[in-house]
Amino acid sequence: MNQKKSGTHSTLLKRVTALTSALALLITSFAAVDGQSMKPRSTAKASKLSEDRRIVHVLNRLGFGARPGDVERVKAIGLDKYIEQQLNPDMIDDSATEAKLQHLTALRMTTPELYEKYPQPGQLLRALQQRGALPQDLAAARDNRRENRANNQNLKPGPPATAGGSDQPKTGEAKSGEMQGPPSNPANPNADANPMNNAEYRRAVYAYFKENNLRPPQFITGELQMSRILRATYSERQLQEVMVDFWTNHFNVFANKGADRWLLVSYDRDTIRPHTMGKFRDLLRATAESPAMLFYLDNFQSVSPNAQPQRPMVRQLARDRNLTMSNNPQDQMPQQTQGPRRGINENYARELMELHTLGVDGGYTQKDVQEVARCFTGWTIFAPRGAGAAAAQLTNAGGRRAERLRENAGKFYFNPRTHDDGEKIVLGHKIPAGGGAKDGLMVLEILAKHPATAKFIATKLARRFVSDEPPKSLVDRVAQTYTKTDGDIREMLRTIFLSPEFNSSAAYRAKIKRPFELAISAVRTLGGDTNGGPQFHQWIARMGQPLYGMQTPNGYSDVAEDWVNTGALLERMNFALALASNRIPGTRADLSRFVGDMAKDKTIDKEKLLDRFVTLIAGGEISAKTRESLLKQLNDQITVPAMPVVQTASLKIPGNPFEEGFQRGNFPGPGGGQQNPQQRRQQPANSNAATIDNPVVKIAGLLLGSPEFQRQ
Amino acid sequence: MNRRFFLTSGGIALASFGAMSVTPSFLRRALAEALEKMGRRKTLIAIFQRGAVDGLNMVVPFGESAYYDLRPNIAIRKPNGSADAAINLDGFFGLHPSMQSFKSLWDSKRLAIVHASGSPDNTRSHFDAQDYMESGTPGVKSTRDGWLNRYLQSKTDSRSLFRGVAMTQQMPRAMQGRAPAIAMSNLAEFRIRAGQTSASVQGGFEEIYDQAVNDSLHGTGKETFEAINYLKQVNPAQYKPENGATYPANGFGNALRQTAQLIKAGVGLEVAFTEVGGWDTHVNQGNQQGQLSNLLRNFSSAIAALHTDLGQRMDDVVILSMSEFGRTVRENGNRGTDHGHANAMFILGNSVRGGKVYGDWPGLRSSQLYEGRDLALTTDFRDVFGEVAQKHLGATNLNAVFPGYDASTSKFRGFLG
Repeated sequence: MNQKKSGTHSTLLKRVTALTSALALLITSFAAVDGQSMKPRSTAKASKLSEDRRIVHVLNRLGFGARPGDVERVKAIGLDKYIEQQLNPDMIDDSATEAKLQHLTALRMTTPELYEKYPQPGQLLRALQQRGALPQDLAAARDNRRENRANNQNLKPGPPATAGGSDQPKTGEAKSGEMQGPPSNPANPNADANPMNNAEYRRAVYAYFKENNLRPPQFITGELQMSRILRATYSERQLQEVMVDFWTNHFNVFANKGADRWLLVSYDRDTIRPHTMGKFRDLLRATAESPAMLFYLDNFQSVSPNAQPQRPMVRQLARDRNLTMSNNPQDQMPQQTQGPRRGINENYARELMELHTLGVDGGYTQKDVQEVARCFTGWTIFAPRGAGAAAAQLTNAGGRRAERLRENAGKFYFNPRTHDDGEKIVLGHKIPAGGGAKDGLMVLEILAKHPATAKFIATKLARRFVSDEPPKSLVDRVAQTYTKTDGDIREMLRTIFLSPEFNSSAAYRAKIKRPFELAISAVRTLGGDTNGGPQFHQWIARMGQPLYGMQTPNGYSDVAEDWVNTGALLERMNFALALASNRIPGTRADLSRFVGDMAKDKTIDKEKLLDRFVTLIAGGEISAKTRESLLKQLNDQITVPAMPVVQTASLKIPGNPFEEGFQRGNFPGPGGGQQNPQQRRQQPANSNAATIDNPVVKIAGLLLGSPEFQRQ
Repeated sequence: MNRRFFLTSGGIALASFGAMSVTPSFLRRALAEALEKMGRRKTLIAIFQRGAVDGLNMVVPFGESAYYDLRPNIAIRKPNGSADAAINLDGFFGLHPSMQSFKSLWDSKRLAIVHASGSPDNTRSHFDAQDYMESGTPGVKSTRDGWLNRYLQSKTDSRSLFRGVAMTQQMPRAMQGRAPAIAMSNLAEFRIRAGQTSASVQGGFEEIYDQAVNDSLHGTGKETFEAINYLKQVNPAQYKPENGATYPANGFGNALRQTAQLIKAGVGLEVAFTEVGGWDTHVNQGNQQGQLSNLLRNFSSAIAALHTDLGQRMDDVVILSMSEFGRTVRENGNRGTDHGHANAMFILGNSVRGGKVYGDWPGLRSSQLYEGRDLALTTDFRDVFGEVAQKHLGATNLNAVFPGYDASTSKFRGFLG
C-alpha cells in the first residue's frame, strides 16, 4: 500500500472500509459454520466473487498472501494473465530471490558432497578409526565419554524437553540411534541420548570439524528449511512455492529418519521442484527413484527372500557383495553381526498406493501390497548412509572404491541380485517374470493410469485450493482433466483456478491457514523481511508444522479441524505479537513506515491509523464490533514505533546463521539451530517476552492474531 | 495445592473457594454440589503408543514354543531369574525385562493386561488403524468425533473446561468433537506472552474472538482464554512430584507429570490423553536390549512414576494403554517386525483387579494365526474401552460412545469390579 495515497484518500478509505466491513459480515455469515463443524454450510449460495476479492483470493491461494502493493500490481497486469504467469514459473525472473539463497551452500551440493562436508560425528570417528586415522585427542575424548556413560546406566535425563507426547516420534525410527549415537552399543540405555551433551567430547569434535572444514549434519536441514521460508516469502513464483509445499507434503519425507537429512536436499532440488506442474507420472517416478523416499519408507532394504538360496556359501557371497556396496563399518554392521539382510519390506508398497496414488479406498488388497513390494525389491541406494565418505576424503583414500563412493554415495540404483524376478499380479495386471527394474516402472504406470489416482489427486488439489470439503462437481472435473491430459498437473490447476467453485464466495477465506502459511503471510502482509533462520522456523514448529518434521508418511493435514485447537491458536496469537514487536531474531517488520507520515500531525488520528492497519492486514474485512474493540486499544498516547534495531538492509542478502553460529563456536548449531522436532520446543522462545507498550504494535499484533487473519 | 474450581455452564462463571463468601446463596449451593461431584470425579488417562508396539515382546508369551521358532533373533528369553529374561507374570506370560518398574504394580494387583486385543478391522495402515481406534468405529471412516469426546458428550452434568485435556501439540482424533477439550503441551507456557502488557493484550484478543460469533474460531478462542485464565491460578511452575516420583525427562515423562499436576489441582479432569511414539520397529527391533527395550523402559518407568506421584489418588484414576495394531509374529528379514493384528493393553489403577492377564489366548501355531501371520484377536478394543468408560467413568450409554457396536457388559473382561 502506497502510504501517501492512503493518507490523502483516508476519507474514501474509511467509507470503503465501512462498506467492506458490512460486506464481510455478510460473507462470514455465508461461510458460517454450524455448531462445532468446520465445514462451511453446504447451503451457502456460491455467488461469484468481485474482481478485487478475486485478486486477494488468488494471492492467498496461489501464493502466501499479498505484500503491500501486490493487489495493485496484479490489477495492473490483469488477474488472468497473472494466473497464467504463475502457471509457468520458469518464465518468471526470480533472480532476486535466488540471490538471497547464495549463502546457503548446502543447497547446491551433490549428496556425496554433503556426506563429505556434513558427517555425523559418531560415524565419522568410527570411519576414521577403521582407517587408522583417528586423532588421539579425539579418541581420548570419545573413550572418556564412553566410560562415563558405562558408569551411569540409569535413564539419564535427556535434554530438558518441555512437554507433550507429540514430540515423541509417532512412527519411524528416529530414535533408533542412527543419528543420535553410535549403534555400537545398543544395550546402552543412553544410546539415544545426544553424545554432544558431553562438553569435552563436543569441544574435541568441534575443533576437528573446524580444522577440517566440516560442518554438523543438522545444518543441512536448517539450510533447507531456510530456503523454503525465504522462497515462500520472497519468490515471485508464488504458485511454484505453494506446489513445492503441496507435493513435499503429499510425498512426505521426515528429515530425522536416518540418512534422510542428507538426502532431502536433492529431494527438494531434483525430485520435487522440477516436477511440480508437469505430468504426475514423472513426479511419481522421481519420488520412487529418490533416495530420500527409498530410505524413508524402507524400500532400500527390501530384498527378495528368494534372491539367494540359503546355502551357507551363497550367504557368504551375498555378504561379500553387500560389502562391496559400501566400505563403511557402520553401514555394514548389521550385516556383519546378523548375516545378510533378507526380507521383503512392504512399507513403501503400501504407502505408494494408500498415500501417493490410489488413496486408502482405492481398491487394492493386502495381496496387491505384497505383490507391489516384490516388484520394488532391488530398488535401493548405493552406500545409503554415506559409508564414511568424509573419512575417505579426509584420508585421501584412493582406488576404485573411494572413487565410486565419491560419485555415487546416497544415489539410487537397481540391484538385480536382490530383486524378486518372478511373475507378479498387481491390481489384476500381470507383470511377467524377468522384468527386473521394469517391474517397478510398470507398477508406477498402472498406478498413474488408475482412475482412483485421478480422483485421489484431484480431491487433494481441490482441497488445497478451494475448501476442506471441495464440491464433488469440481473434483470430478479435475479428475477428468487428469484422465484427459495423462495426469498433467498444470492442466488440473488451470481447471481449478478457472472454475466457478474456486471463484465463488463460498471458497473465499474458507481455508484456515496452516502455520507455515500463516507465518509467511504475516511477514508478507507487513512488508517485513526475514532471514528465514532457525528462530523464525521455530515459531512455525511451535504452531505445529515444522518443515520436514512430519514423521508419518501421510504428511500434514489440510483441513482446519486439525489445526484449530486451543493450544495451537494460542501459539498463533503469540507468534503475531512476537512478529509485530520485532522479537523474532532475524525477522523485521518496520511498522513505523505505516505511521511515519501521520506523525507530522500533532496527534495521530486513531481511526485513520486503525483503518490503515485493518486494510493492510485484514483486507479491510473485519466486523464493526471488532473494529470498535481495536479502537479501544488505541486509547493510549500513540507514538511511532521505533525502527527495528537491525536495519532491513542486512536482510537483503541474508547470511547463513548456521555458519555464523559455527564460527562463534556453536556446535552443532546456533540458538535454535537444532532443527529437530524432538527438541523443537525446548526453549521457551520468549519467556521474558517484551512488554508491548506501543499501541501501533499492539494493533498490528492483535490483527495478525485475529480470526480474520487466520483465514485465507 | 490450592484447590480452585472452574465451571462453565452456558456462559462463563469463575468461582473459587475464596470467592464463595461473596457469591449468592443459590449459586453457592449449586457450586457445592458440583464440587462434591468433582471431588469424586473419576479420571481416565489414555496413553496411545503410536506406531504399533510389538505386543508379543512387551507381554511375552514365553510358554509358546512357536514364539521362539518364529523369532530366532528377537525373542525375549524365558524367565530365568536374570535381569535380561522375561519377568514372569503367571507362568505363561512375562513382561519385557526392561519393564521392571511394572513388576511391583503387578504384584500388588493394580496392573492388569488384556492380551490378543485390538481392532477387528484388518487394516495394516497406521493411519487407518489409529483413526479407527481413536474414533472408536473400526471400518467406518466417516465418524467425525473421537470416542473419548463422545464419552464427554454423553455426560453433561458439569462443564468443567478441563474435563478433557490432551497433553499434545495438536488435538488427537480421540478427543476431537463437540464436547470442549483442550490440547496443550506445556501448562506453564499456556498464556499470552507480552510481558507486563500480557493482560491488556489478552483482553484485546478476547474481545476480538468474542465478537467473531460467525467464525468457527470463535469457540476455540473462547475456550483458549478460559483455559489461560484458569491455569494462571494453578501455578504450574511450582509443581513438585510427590512420594519421590521421578519422571523421565522427556516428552512423555513431562506429559504424564503435567497430567498428575492437573489431577491434583482438582480442575475436574475426566479424560487425559497422552501419546508416545517410536514403536514402528521394522528394522533392528532388538530383543532383551536394543531399540524396543529402550522404548519400553521409558514407557513403563514414566507410567510407574505417575502411579507413585498420584499415590492414594490412584483410587480414582485408571491408566489405559493402547496401540493401533500388533506386529507380525514372525520376525522379518531386517530383525524387525511388520504390521500385524492383535496386541496387548495395560490397565492400571487401585480399583483394577490386577495381577491377571485377561482375554482368551489364541495361540501362535500357524493354524492359529490371523491371516496366517498375525496374533489373532479375541477381545475387541471397544470391550476394553467400554468397560473402562462404564465401570470407571460411569458412562451410562455405551451405544452413544461406540455407535454401531453392540456394547454389552457381558463382553467385558472384568478387570474392573
